[in-house]
Amino acid sequence: MSAVFGWLFVAAMAAVPVVFPDPYVLSVLTSAGIFIIGAISLNLLLGYTGQLSLGHAAFFGLGAYASALVSLGFDIGIGFGLRLRLDPQPVFVGFLAGIAVAGAFGWLLGRLAFRVRGAYFVVITICFAQVLRMVALNWVELTQGPMALIGIPPASLWLPGQGVVPLYTKPQSFWLVLGVGTLAFLLVRQVVQSRIGRALVALRENETLARSVGIRVTHYLVIATVLSAGIAGAAGSLFAHYVRIIDPDVFLFIYTVTMVIMVITGGKGTLWGPVVGGLIFGLMPDLLRGSAPPEAQWIAYGVLMILLVMFLPRGIVPAVAGLLPARRRPAPAIAAMVEPAP
Amino acid sequence: MDQALQHLVNGTVLGGTYALLGIGLTLIFGVMRVVNFTHGELYTFGAYMAYGLVALLHVDFFLSLVLATMLGLALGALIELVLLRPMRKADIDSVMLVMIGAALVLQNAGLWAWGGVAKLVPTPFAGTPLVFGPVSVLPLRLFVLGVAATLLLVFWLLLERTRAGIAMRATFQDAETASLMGVRVGWVHTATFAIGSGLAAAAGALLGPVFMVSPAMGDLVGLKAFAIVILGGLGNLPGAVIGGFALGYVEEFGGGFVSSEYRDAFGFLLIILVLAIRPQGLVALKERVG
Amino acid sequence: MLNRRTALLAGLALPALQRTAWAADPIKIGMTQPLTGAVAASGNYVANGAKIAVEVLNRAGGVLGRPLELILEDNKSNPREAVAAVDKLVLRDRVPVLIGAWSSTYTLAIMPKLLEYKVPMVVETSSASRITTSGNPYVFRIAPTSAMEAVAFSTQLGKFTPAMRKVDFLSVNNDFGRGAAEKFSEALAAKGVTIGRTETMTPEATDLSAQLAALKQSDADTIFLTTGVEQQTLALRQAVEQRLGKRFVTTGGSFPDALIANPLPAGNTSFHILFYAPWFPERAPYPAIAEAYTAEWNKNNWEFAGLTEGFRGYDAVLTVVEAIRLAGKPEAEAIREALWKVDIHGVNGDIRFAKEGPAGQESGQNQPNVAIVTLSEGKTGLL
Repeated sequence: MSAVFGWLFVAAMAAVPVVFPDPYVLSVLTSAGIFIIGAISLNLLLGYTGQLSLGHAAFFGLGAYASALVSLGFDIGIGFGLRLRLDPQPVFVGFLAGIAVAGAFGWLLGRLAFRVRGAYFVVITICFAQVLRMVALNWVELTQGPMALIGIPPASLWLPGQGVVPLYTKPQSFWLVLGVGTLAFLLVRQVVQSRIGRALVALRENETLARSVGIRVTHYLVIATVLSAGIAGAAGSLFAHYVRIIDPDVFLFIYTVTMVIMVITGGKGTLWGPVVGGLIFGLMPDLLRGSAPPEAQWIAYGVLMILLVMFLPRGIVPAVAGLLPARRRPAPAIAAMVEPAP
Repeated sequence: MDQALQHLVNGTVLGGTYALLGIGLTLIFGVMRVVNFTHGELYTFGAYMAYGLVALLHVDFFLSLVLATMLGLALGALIELVLLRPMRKADIDSVMLVMIGAALVLQNAGLWAWGGVAKLVPTPFAGTPLVFGPVSVLPLRLFVLGVAATLLLVFWLLLERTRAGIAMRATFQDAETASLMGVRVGWVHTATFAIGSGLAAAAGALLGPVFMVSPAMGDLVGLKAFAIVILGGLGNLPGAVIGGFALGYVEEFGGGFVSSEYRDAFGFLLIILVLAIRPQGLVALKERVG
Repeated sequence: MLNRRTALLAGLALPALQRTAWAADPIKIGMTQPLTGAVAASGNYVANGAKIAVEVLNRAGGVLGRPLELILEDNKSNPREAVAAVDKLVLRDRVPVLIGAWSSTYTLAIMPKLLEYKVPMVVETSSASRITTSGNPYVFRIAPTSAMEAVAFSTQLGKFTPAMRKVDFLSVNNDFGRGAAEKFSEALAAKGVTIGRTETMTPEATDLSAQLAALKQSDADTIFLTTGVEQQTLALRQAVEQRLGKRFVTTGGSFPDALIANPLPAGNTSFHILFYAPWFPERAPYPAIAEAYTAEWNKNNWEFAGLTEGFRGYDAVLTVVEAIRLAGKPEAEAIREALWKVDIHGVNGDIRFAKEGPAGQESGQNQPNVAIVTLSEGKTGLL
């Protein structure tokens, strides 16, 4: 049932470019989709490990920069008169590089930050993104600093018989994001239903207990961070090749906050939470545009976030699911979505 | 050498305001276990109140600083009563999210009210620097340092010598025992958050006239305040003062002698270094499970 | 008979019907400016200039019998937001022509989108050379390039006493700042001036003590300062504090107006290269136009010194509307063709475009006028 519902949703989304070929609608949906992938990856940390990681924009930005730089090529001095040079690579190499670099930094941050918990952990993750922003801003030779990396090639796909096809058009970009998003969703579902997922939930619920029964807490946390960072890197890479310009502000705290709001609103620790929250917050700015100035919108998001945490702390998806079982007990579609792990 | 002396002076002035920021944040964490994401916004609020009073209402500059601090105090008390009091039983992460929401509201309300263009706050101080041998400093900056030092001293006296201060310290050490001993923990929390916010607003009102006042000025400052308290240890009051001055000097000397572009990054790099080399931090506390 | 009458009636009625349809349907002009963020002051001035131009033109009946509508989108002082703004303006609002985007960095970021959507853009402020030399036929720049500004400035070098012997640069770390440092170095070196060091700062930096301390060690007599008005103000104030004792010349046409109400101490005179000096409208190439613009601005009680940059938006709207009139219809390709035929008088002087860049895909570039204004103790003068 769950799978049927999920695939119906994917099919409905895939039909959008055919039914509404309006480029503006597609561009809004594509951007929303990219941030939903970011939110799905953040949910793995925030929802399933219970660690409030507020440096998520770091992985998103790293993926974006790595992917853009690999596909643009670079030639930089690395001290001692040595130079590091890379010729422009195909975009899919950049995409993989984006995932790898973000994943590697995920491992580094995991190793560093999971030495501490609570407030310290939160502050370290924030500082991590901040340092990366400073590097992107000032390592002009590599990143072009505030001038931004421009002219990033669009994503491309290898198709049998046609070779490498660049994805210029809005429907193509949209389908690509939908495809990657579906993969990310399935991967996260696989992870949370595996041994790793059970270990993560065990330590979220009671770390001391989990430790005492022999779960290697830091080990599993680092695995979750690497996975989460890798998916965020993939989202960042899609972003870079979609908007085709990247600047140091992708590391800003506000991007992390956007993803956090998506996860919290939809329901952290539920598979569909980030998707629902992401759709709401990805589409709202454009629906409200013209009727409310951006400042007023952000004020509304802030208020909504406060109200949700205070009165609906589990988010929309569990709340809606909570209403359904009253009809008839087996509502496995929703129940499976809500269940953090079997 | 001349340059080093100048950097020492600049770093001291900067460190004084950083200490004010850090001590407010660390006090709130120590007493209430709240990671205050609105701290940078209170800083911005103080700066804009000073601007509004001085430039628009033509209130006396010094009086404006006092009023801006009082308004920051009041806003802090309001935030505590409306948002934090109902969240007393909630976990630390939920409270953080509520504070992030509050920060979003404050920053965008500021942007809406004041517009996006940076403002200059007029001051009665001469624009000509005072010269001591190779070192020069604006009278305004010396005044800022003096006020920051005075506020730190007053705050310390309040904590050490008054009943309110004793109640605050008792709650700091053990909230449950304190409440058994008759301390009204709720009001201690309100007072603590108000005082912490007032200190942030004071820092904004003091530094606003030195630089310029803009809606996003609190973003980086709020993050730096986190850096300061992590350096000194969360909830450690003398640590925050040390952390504040440490960050001031690191930025100033790093910016002057290593790279002016990476100036703002030094504080954050310092934290990551401290944690990489000494994971228990400069001052170990019980939050640090490892 | 009947046929002729019907035809006649139809002939009369059709344009009338169309006119009523038009009247309800204004011609849109898209504009993106930094309305918030690090360079918001300038962006708001330019946007205000554009707003009053639209008001003035609408009072005179609009263009092609239809009113004009300016759709303004904030680019938040960020190149990526500038691209997002253009996406919205073109895809959602379907504007046939754009004005933007203040900083060279934002304009360069937008330029690929112009090719993709085939919409022309009038560039009102950006000065980096490669905007018009990279082969983008949708770019029409009324602002001077850094190179033009530098050459025009270097002809007035003789007016400075004591003479300039060695110069340093303090530049914002982007295309605008770096480009100005490069082009002024070339133009001044050609006049025999020695070129010293270049210090850079990030656009949102507020404490510039480290850069200024480094510049203090240099033996240059003059520092060229290139950045938005916010940082110009901060740099000039902090230079007094650090006792630099050097001459400052700001480039790019922005003016640190906050220093009029809050002047630097006596004995500090700064120099500002401007493209319109509102204190002296009679010295503008077309005083009547400059005075009309100034009067309209003052009606709104806006910051007087904002006129220095507001004219960019004003002139840009005049240019765009003239192109729409010449095109005869509000369609992107027709407007692009018509922009080549524009020949009007603006606040800054004549506006017409010469071809620049690779043959076959040239961009348009206007030749603007330059004034050097002095600021001392809150008072302005013309050098």
